[in-house]
Amino acid sequence: MKINITIFLIFIITFTSAFINRLQNRQPHYLKLVIPKGWPKPTRNIFAANPLTEEGFQLGRKLFYDVRLSKDGSIACASCHQQFAAFTSFDHDFSHGFNNSFTTRNAPALLNLAWMPALHWDGGINHIEVQPLAPLTAPNEMAETLENVLKKIGADANYKKLFKAAFGNSAINSQRMLKALAQFTGSIQSYNTRYDKVKRGEATFTVSEQYGYKVFKANCNACHTEPLFTDNSFRNNGLTLHPTLMDLGRMKVTGELADSLKFKVPTLRNIALTAPYMHDGRLYTLSQVVEHYRDKINNNQPTIDSLLKNKIAISNQQKVDLLSFLYTLTDEEMLHNKRYSAPAENADILPQHVH
Amino acid sequence: MKFLLSVIVPLLLLLNINATCQIKGGLQAPIKFGTATIIFNNTVNKLPLVLNDSTYSNPFGEQYRLSKFKYYISGIRLLNSQKKWMLKPGYYLVNQSIDSSLKINIALQENSYDSIAFLLGVDSARNTSGAQKGALDPLNDMFWTWQSGYIMQKLEGTSPQSSIVNNKIEYHIGGYMGTNSVLQQLVLPFPSNSPVLIQRGSNCIININADVNCFWSGVVDISIKENPVCSAPGKLAKQLAVNFSNLFSVTSVINN
Repeated sequence: MKINITIFLIFIITFTSAFINRLQNRQPHYLKLVIPKGWPKPTRNIFAANPLTEEGFQLGRKLFYDVRLSKDGSIACASCHQQFAAFTSFDHDFSHGFNNSFTTRNAPALLNLAWMPALHWDGGINHIEVQPLAPLTAPNEMAETLENVLKKIGADANYKKLFKAAFGNSAINSQRMLKALAQFTGSIQSYNTRYDKVKRGEATFTVSEQYGYKVFKANCNACHTEPLFTDNSFRNNGLTLHPTLMDLGRMKVTGELADSLKFKVPTLRNIALTAPYMHDGRLYTLSQVVEHYRDKINNNQPTIDSLLKNKIAISNQQKVDLLSFLYTLTDEEMLHNKRYSAPAENADILPQHVH
Repeated sequence: MKFLLSVIVPLLLLLNINATCQIKGGLQAPIKFGTATIIFNNTVNKLPLVLNDSTYSNPFGEQYRLSKFKYYISGIRLLNSQKKWMLKPGYYLVNQSIDSSLKINIALQENSYDSIAFLLGVDSARNTSGAQKGALDPLNDMFWTWQSGYIMQKLEGTSPQSSIVNNKIEYHIGGYMGTNSVLQQLVLPFPSNSPVLIQRGSNCIININADVNCFWSGVVDISIKENPVCSAPGKLAKQLAVNFSNLFSVTSVINN
């Protein structure tokens, strides 16, 4: 009898502890950022205080595609950062904001942000988690208050479930919302372009692309450094000051005259899809961009980049080859990756139209 | 069934009691801490600051009213000649509009202290670490959205001497980088012969006075007429911050 009781007790204890364990084990599913072979390590781990999980990613994805984040419910993050345009505003120099307003800079591509130490053309944003605060509250973008956004998503029972899945309980606050958005945007990665496949030995360049790659390495790689195709520095590339926007770029952030007219070097990944080009979208084609560098640089500016003082000598043939190469930087897998696209359950809260 | 229950229930209770004992055991460590309450008295010319009501006159005879008066305090430490007592890293937003924010309760090791030190503002690491919560939640309207970083001190109101629309005055003082850093480390001595005595079970009250009028001329003269607005890091913000650090003094210590 005593032995029976003992066995039974052991059984009960085992069962109970297994049950408790199961309750406690409703942990999120951890994900890892892909660091492609041969790439530098991200300058800092943007997920160090924000563990990347499937649940957090999915919550961020839903928020990214939710128009309720804007004042009049017409604009989502995805309105100006469209997947098919490498998360830029397709064919727009400036994006549309609240009440027929325009932004004052060209929407940058969202990709490989884990390798980007500062965000925005002037580097004014120092961490991916606080980036959404800018478009959310800017009167010419989503024009909403953080308080109202939290109220609106807090009234949605579905969000409570998603916050619970991502963070352990259903509390909704600004920190969690921003961390979830960072998990989504920070996970948008491009490393499967034809260029990448050539580098991995899975594809080959055409003759023109191969020549173009040589031209690129000789003339562009110093700033648009492989494999990210940006060195994340701020430089004056010889555009004249916009007469009405009077955008001084990096100087706005540092207050230093030496930073006048400097803007962040953008990545060239998916460059074929991110027209128009430059911080104010003033150049509409890649051909115009090359023309700028070989002919139109305004090198009378004191802060002109030393590499561009004498413009870049590129022949017509080299230009054709360079353009061929730039087209190999299109990442079809990123552009069509379903994990980055609007979640199906967002059908009623998606942006209603593309401007 | 009854038999089973009669076995399981006591067993579970036993486990439960064990757990409770462990927790109690942890709490039975000898307490060597007392408490102190730091009270921030925001004043103008020795009178309590009243928002949206009283009109004040700065050292240049310029009149002003305030509608907002907020500032960050962090890294509070109490010091004496033998040792300093660093508190757990904590960030506090002193907001004249919220009474409860004017008092900070802290636990301190038993000892005698002769000065208090704190950082006026939010350290640079916390300015660059992404989304924060509590006193540092961007909901508190003390975070720049277009250029990441905390507004360390915020004064808003009106003045007839301001040429800005609606005679506004608006000083948002921030910046954590390099020469533009507005961070100020303050050490405020307690009145002589009046150290803070922390004993087990006692609560000491430390009254800190912040005289708003020092803002205009504490170190650098800054008139409303010439500078009614500061809304970005830079030279002006830095000068205003230096003035701001001059607001503070300990007026009294009450050992209970």
